Amino acid sequence: MKLRNTLLAALGLAFAATTAQAEIKVGVVLSATGPAASLGIPEKNTISLLPTTIGGEKVSYIVLDDASDTTTAVKNARKLTVEDGVDVIIGSTTSPASLAMVDVAAETKTPMISMAASARIVAPMDDKKRWVFKTPQNDQQMASAIIGHMSANNVKRVSFIGFANAYGEGWYEQFKKLAEAKGIEVAASERFNPADTSVTGQALKLMSVKPDAVFIAGSGTPSALPQKTLRERGYKGPIYQTHGVANNDFLRICGKDCEGTLLPVGPVQMARSLPDSHPVKASALAYVEKYEAANGAGSVSSFGAYAWDAGVLLEAAVPSALKTVKPGSAEFRAALRDALEGVKEVAGATGIYSMSAEDHLGLDDRSRVMIEIRNGTWSLLK
Amino acid sequence: MRADRLVLGAFLALLLLVPAILSPYYVTLLNYIGLYAMVALGLVLLTGVGGLTSFGQAAFVGLGAYTTAALTTATDLPAWLAWAGTSPWLTLVVGLLLTAVVAVLIGSLTLKLSGHFLPLGTIAWGISLYFLFGTMESLGGHTGISGIPAIGLLGWTLDEGGEIYYLIWAFLLVAMLTTHNLLDSREGRAIRALKGGRIMAEAMGVDTSRSRMVIFVIAALLACASGWLYAHMQRFVNPTPFGVHIGIEYLFMAVVGGAGYVWGAIVGAGVITVLKQWLQNWLPSLLGATGSFETIVFGLLMVLVLHRAREGLWPILKKLVPVRAVRKTIDADAEPLPRRTLPKAGELILEAKDVTRRFGGLIANNNMSLEVRAGEILALIGPNGAGKSTMFNQISGVDTPTSGEVRFLGKPVAGHDSREIARMGMSRTFQHVRLLPTMSVLENVAIGAHLRSDKGVLSSAWRLDRAEEARILKEAARQIERVGLAEHMYEEAGSLALGQQRILEIARALCADPCLLLLDEPAAGLRLKEKEALGELLRKLRSEGMATLIVEHDMDFVMSLVDRVVVMEFGQKIAEGLPDEIQQNPAVLEAYLGGVE
Amino acid sequence: MDMSIALILSQDGITNGAIYALLALALVLVFAVTRVIFIQQGEFVAYGALTLAMMQSGVLPATVWMLVVMGALVTALDGGLALKAGQGRRAAGVAGWNLGYPLALAAALGGLAVDELPLAVQVLLTLAIVVPMGPMMYRLMYQPIASAPVLVLLIVSVALHIAMVGLGLLFFGAEGQRTPAFSEFSLELGPLMVSAQTLWVLVVSALLIVGLYQFFGRTLYGKALRATAINRVGAQLMGISPTLAGKLTFFLAAFIGALSGVLIAPITTIYYDTGFLIGLKGFVAAIIGGLASYPLAAVGALAVGLLEAFASFWASAYKEVIVFTLIIPVLLWRSLTSHHVEEEE
Repeated sequence: MKLRNTLLAALGLAFAATTAQAEIKVGVVLSATGPAASLGIPEKNTISLLPTTIGGEKVSYIVLDDASDTTTAVKNARKLTVEDGVDVIIGSTTSPASLAMVDVAAETKTPMISMAASARIVAPMDDKKRWVFKTPQNDQQMASAIIGHMSANNVKRVSFIGFANAYGEGWYEQFKKLAEAKGIEVAASERFNPADTSVTGQALKLMSVKPDAVFIAGSGTPSALPQKTLRERGYKGPIYQTHGVANNDFLRICGKDCEGTLLPVGPVQMARSLPDSHPVKASALAYVEKYEAANGAGSVSSFGAYAWDAGVLLEAAVPSALKTVKPGSAEFRAALRDALEGVKEVAGATGIYSMSAEDHLGLDDRSRVMIEIRNGTWSLLK
Repeated sequence: MRADRLVLGAFLALLLLVPAILSPYYVTLLNYIGLYAMVALGLVLLTGVGGLTSFGQAAFVGLGAYTTAALTTATDLPAWLAWAGTSPWLTLVVGLLLTAVVAVLIGSLTLKLSGHFLPLGTIAWGISLYFLFGTMESLGGHTGISGIPAIGLLGWTLDEGGEIYYLIWAFLLVAMLTTHNLLDSREGRAIRALKGGRIMAEAMGVDTSRSRMVIFVIAALLACASGWLYAHMQRFVNPTPFGVHIGIEYLFMAVVGGAGYVWGAIVGAGVITVLKQWLQNWLPSLLGATGSFETIVFGLLMVLVLHRAREGLWPILKKLVPVRAVRKTIDADAEPLPRRTLPKAGELILEAKDVTRRFGGLIANNNMSLEVRAGEILALIGPNGAGKSTMFNQISGVDTPTSGEVRFLGKPVAGHDSREIARMGMSRTFQHVRLLPTMSVLENVAIGAHLRSDKGVLSSAWRLDRAEEARILKEAARQIERVGLAEHMYEEAGSLALGQQRILEIARALCADPCLLLLDEPAAGLRLKEKEALGELLRKLRSEGMATLIVEHDMDFVMSLVDRVVVMEFGQKIAEGLPDEIQQNPAVLEAYLGGVE
Repeated sequence: MDMSIALILSQDGITNGAIYALLALALVLVFAVTRVIFIQQGEFVAYGALTLAMMQSGVLPATVWMLVVMGALVTALDGGLALKAGQGRRAAGVAGWNLGYPLALAAALGGLAVDELPLAVQVLLTLAIVVPMGPMMYRLMYQPIASAPVLVLLIVSVALHIAMVGLGLLFFGAEGQRTPAFSEFSLELGPLMVSAQTLWVLVVSALLIVGLYQFFGRTLYGKALRATAINRVGAQLMGISPTLAGKLTFFLAAFIGALSGVLIAPITTIYYDTGFLIGLKGFVAAIIGGLASYPLAAVGALAVGLLEAFASFWASAYKEVIVFTLIIPVLLWRSLTSHHVEEEE
């Protein structure tokens, strides 16, 4: 009986979704399964917290999983635009998938808000990327925070180890460029796969160049393995990580080996410890509280915040687009695009967004802070 | 006969109209189905028909996609290569050439692998190529290459789903037609013999290593073409669509659709693509949650499908379509195949001199000598374990004697492989019947004529071989009638009784137009009438000048038929002479009746 | 590279190789007896490690519900058959083992404060949950198509691998888990620092290999499995049930997989999708052994482990390229030297 009721309810829902009158349809593509699942899942959890009405119009969300695969991401984007006629796409989780979706967004003239890091998604600006925005800080912004800390602390030689995927690659490019500009030598550069069970070889290589510091560019719990191996092998120097590791699972897995780890994060991670004067504190805290209420204390991560900020951007842009046209039309999508481009000083969980025709990210240095792992938890560096 | 044309026509008309009827999204799905089906088609040929399991096809797709992506987006190509970047059509040519070269290189290494080593070999190079795509900075690394141009065709730019749709399906249909034609030809029979019939095929003169390479390269080229289309449809490439996981998925499509059937490729690609889509659309609303349910349900559904349909879905679907296999027609007017001039009666054909074969300490053949002349039937008999089969192997060149020599038409047999020996005019049957059970009797016999014809892969694929094919089939039919299997000509060879299968092997051997026939226990399993007919046939061949060597157990059959008999025991010749003499020979009687086993 | 680095890499390679060796043995065994290429071997590793980790964090492992569902299906199938044949007692037995046992286990786990139990008990409970899934999987998924061609069995394995990875994500989430070491001491041998867990891995692997050797050489069931591996039809004629042989094999394979998972969970981080790569390396080793020879498979496993360790030192970006490219000549050599009959099925 119960199953039958569920079925009927589901059918009812499906019909309701297709017959409802003018509403804003948001298509979401993210990596809820596959190698990028640890990034995609907090994003997915966040989507259900996004506003259900904006500017008096109902907002519905269609969430599709791309299994961390670009082909599926594009297929999903086509379904959302062509079949479901969404007004805006949020997605996807990874940089390659987002880059691949740019063409669909441009072809169907649908605004798209990516949750992936690579600067290439929105720059250099061209006729296609006009339609594309993104919420995460560029790797370059985060890397400059690390480099800044390194040069302030007299680090001259760095060993780099990163994921053998787009994440590690994006970081390496930006990090190397900025490091060399500041006179810091990247003495060793190694790669590892998130699924590797041992990185002893890489760790020995990193240590063999006698670096002043080691920088690990990975996301989530897999990033703990190099750090644990380095400590196990007797490396005592400072270790830097990226904001990708900033979640509680990482702390749990890495344990005491991660004491003293330095990393840049978005304000969301430190929302509670930020001084009240910090411009992002209130907006970040709003997200943290909402997310943790739904998913448990300490569950928040930067990746979910990127999805949240996509919602924040929509909340800021949709009302002005609604002034001229109703949703569900090409005109609305174009108006929404223009409105997104006109977003100024909007505070999200990740930072303050101020878009322009040339800058479809719009974040500045207020979007990151350097922190340290101390006593098994995150703490702000002064 | 016309029903199949009708169904096909309806299918094509439907394909043509799709962009007009279906929503654009379904056109997009069909685009992907077409791309996947093209790779799966290669696997049908390679795995389903040829028996070579490959997990690495995705890497070839990647090769095609990356070649065109790199060339068409590069801004600083060296002068000698600059021409290639100007049009996607040129990069297709470059990609196909590159893939062919890589496939030949990889194939010459991994196709030597036997049994289970081969699939692992394909995983090995599949993974290697995948990681190479990701680590090479010039190929955009893991992040990928964007900004790939659309394909232009006669002034059109195919930059929308509904336009490239026609190109993709045109490619696929051409590929299917070509594959279909290829399989229904001389080369095709050789390819179909690869799975489970290599020894037989080699004995009929088929270069099976070459055939393996041929299908490997064709499968790689199909994958490459799919990759080229993919790159220009997606306008973006990065390594993830070319990993081993996807390679496994292509194999998955071929098997679920029906790995042994050309149409299985479309069915498999279609079912899997559409099913995934439906699961994605419906499961979340059914379960009220999103997550990994799609993969779970998908995996379990596929297990169910395979439980119900081991051969894949196509054989089941085929029953719903009013199409029956079209019988081959035998063209009575076809010119007969050329024949070799048989040696004159009495001429020495085969001569074994002092053949000794040791296996470690065991002497299987000791100083065996025998000779067979044109127009003569010689029987080699002896009790079980006498070493007859070993001797047969020395004569047919399967094995090489430890000492002594076998000469065929005056030339030593040792050092020649089965193919060369077949070409010289020796043709054989097998003690344990070796035929292709799902192929018709006619086609099984036609394999025998492999060396009497020479049309290759390209002419088969484009139907330039029909005149020769008619001649081959006419010859095969003639031999089938000759051995008395005419009424079974169109049945599956596997459905014949064992005795009839042995007769089929004789027809196949005759189809090679030999001057020496080696028959390994031809009468085993035959009924009396059939034996008499067989005897009649062999006598007739003898009168035409054929030399025949028979290894046989059936004394009555042997004694009433042959001219001379050689008797073996414990690896040695114990008697030789006319049938009547042998029957009286005390040593023979002792061997057959007196010896305690 | 100096001597000490080479030694450390060797130690690392041997530790990984030992796990690959265990998996390779299981793969060889499963293939020889049932002709199934057991791609899900790796998932059993992950399930073992993650089930233990869940217990340690005080959560009732979701795998136990999977066991209940699988048991219920087996009961429905086999119990139904037995009832139809009028064998009430047999039906009761089937239901007891396949339904009663998982439910009792679930009840026990629900009643206990699992995170407070000693580690040894947690390990035993983990095995008690994960290992029976092996024979149940054989019953549900492979027994109905036991005579199908190898290719079809392989594809079924692939499909199950996909489903099990999906279930793993559902049960354990996307983030990795690590469990505390069995014991905390470590040995210093020159430049080497051998942790207790490494010793555990090596000792247990060696014991298991010796144990399996004894099992196949000495016990009736072991001999029956060997007979089935050598000649399936012959063994059946001699009264060895292929179904029993299949279930027994899957039991052993699941045991080896889950135990490997429990062993390596303290050394490395295990994810829901870790299994595939580990299993693949085990598969490589198994193939080097020709899917038939246990000692060669073990040697192959150690070679793969060592190759991997050194490749990750020399050129980590090209690690997989190096490992898998170097396998091809080994395969060629094995292919040319190993005797085989071409005319397979």
